[in-house]
Amino acid sequence: MRRALSWTEGALVALCLWAAWYRTPAGALLRTVGSRVLGLHTSARPLLAYYSAGAYSEKPPAPLPLRGPVPPGEALAYGAAQLQGRPPREVARDLDRLRRELKGSDEAAVLALFCGEEPARWASERARGRDLESLARELPPGYADKVARASEAIMLGAAYSLAWPLPAATPVTSPFGPRDHPVLGGSRMHNGIDLGVPAHTEVRAVAAGVVRRASSDDSNGRIVILDHGRGVTTLYCHNDALLVRAGDRVERGQIISRSGNTGRSTGPHLHYQLELAGQPVDPFRYRVARAHPLSPGPTD
Amino acid sequence: MQRLRWMVLPLGLCALVAVGAHASADVLGDRILWAVDRVDAFFDAIFSRWSVTAPLVDWVGLSQRVFFARGVALLWELSADALLILPLIGYEERAVPAELALARKLLRKTARKPLPSRIVGPLCTAAIAIGGARAVAHLVRSSLFRAPLIAHALGGATLFLLVALFASRATLRSLEYADSRKPLLGLPSAVLLIPLAIAAFA
Repeated sequence: MRRALSWTEGALVALCLWAAWYRTPAGALLRTVGSRVLGLHTSARPLLAYYSAGAYSEKPPAPLPLRGPVPPGEALAYGAAQLQGRPPREVARDLDRLRRELKGSDEAAVLALFCGEEPARWASERARGRDLESLARELPPGYADKVARASEAIMLGAAYSLAWPLPAATPVTSPFGPRDHPVLGGSRMHNGIDLGVPAHTEVRAVAAGVVRRASSDDSNGRIVILDHGRGVTTLYCHNDALLVRAGDRVERGQIISRSGNTGRSTGPHLHYQLELAGQPVDPFRYRVARAHPLSPGPTD
Repeated sequence: MQRLRWMVLPLGLCALVAVGAHASADVLGDRILWAVDRVDAFFDAIFSRWSVTAPLVDWVGLSQRVFFARGVALLWELSADALLILPLIGYEERAVPAELALARKLLRKTARKPLPSRIVGPLCTAAIAIGGARAVAHLVRSSLFRAPLIAHALGGATLFLLVALFASRATLRSLEYADSRKPLLGLPSAVLLIPLAIAAFA
């Protein structure tokens, strides 16, 4: 009895160490060091990328060349197509088939696309939620890399599906990228785009989400930050009036503020910023840029 | 064999508690991000008033806030690991009847004089170790997804055995530790451990 118990305990110790190896930051660090020393591949990077607040990507994918607006309902396919290097139409057909076969969410279909149907079916039958995080919890650690790719595809898909906060013809007064700062001087990165509009223009949420922040400071003026989930966040700065409060749920197209000239700004405009996995990106990577004329005007 | 048990069992107990603490910290991650957002908005409102401090507002962007929030979650998890693992290091091998007698004695003592220092540590250890047992059992189940019946049977057995053999031992060690000396960082340790213990059942 004593000996049998010892073997049971030995097996349990092994299981606990195995779980700690895959499910703790200390384990992920050890795996990374081990893989560097031995020159092997490790699946620890998604967990470490989580702690460094960045998206995990083997190789940052080039955005798809957009000839026109992304067709409604195909944004997710565009996100997956960008990572898989396949035509979006073909990926959209696969996603439709997987959605039907799994009777699951968009996330389950994308998971099946990257991990295979059997693991995705197991995960979608058992997960508490329909989001990718809940689904991924049901998969063994060997799928960490593929889940990270699926997560990235879903994030890119969400970016392709975003609406625009102002009428499409609104001129861009300062694009995304490095520039000479109009107030502080010197070359600085502009993390968003400035849209020239008269004060009190209605500003709309580009997608459904939760208001993470609705506050005021002398730099950003009256600012709204929306968390759309799936790693997508949008910021709206220099507003005249905020119509939402932190914690509110907003729908796509809902009026969240009225534009203005508050904070460090040279005139009435809206600073719109898109962030994916916490990193600012050019919103025109996921939208046809030629619909938005560039013209000089107020900026920040 | 006894020598091996003395070395290996504390390692298993520490790993179990670390897995449980990580699972709980994962649940608290969003709450921490919410708190960091509020603190950042408060400081932005203050710093943006003066031109000298205004650049600090841009310095802490969204990615930095997420980084801070995850850093706080990681620090929290590692501090809780240290507090929970400390009593487990002084592992003493005893026969099962002696363990049970000690457990009864300590529980009677705690019931007679229920000091917070005697209750918080062991209760939090129990909750987090059970959370760890659930996470390990879940990992076993998910790794065997190609054979669902075996997955469920082994997952259930793992959970039962880990709670019965390991979580109970970790709790007893914590109870023994709390009885034998003054608790390390009384109130701060309670503040660190109680939210994680609650999150273990989320």
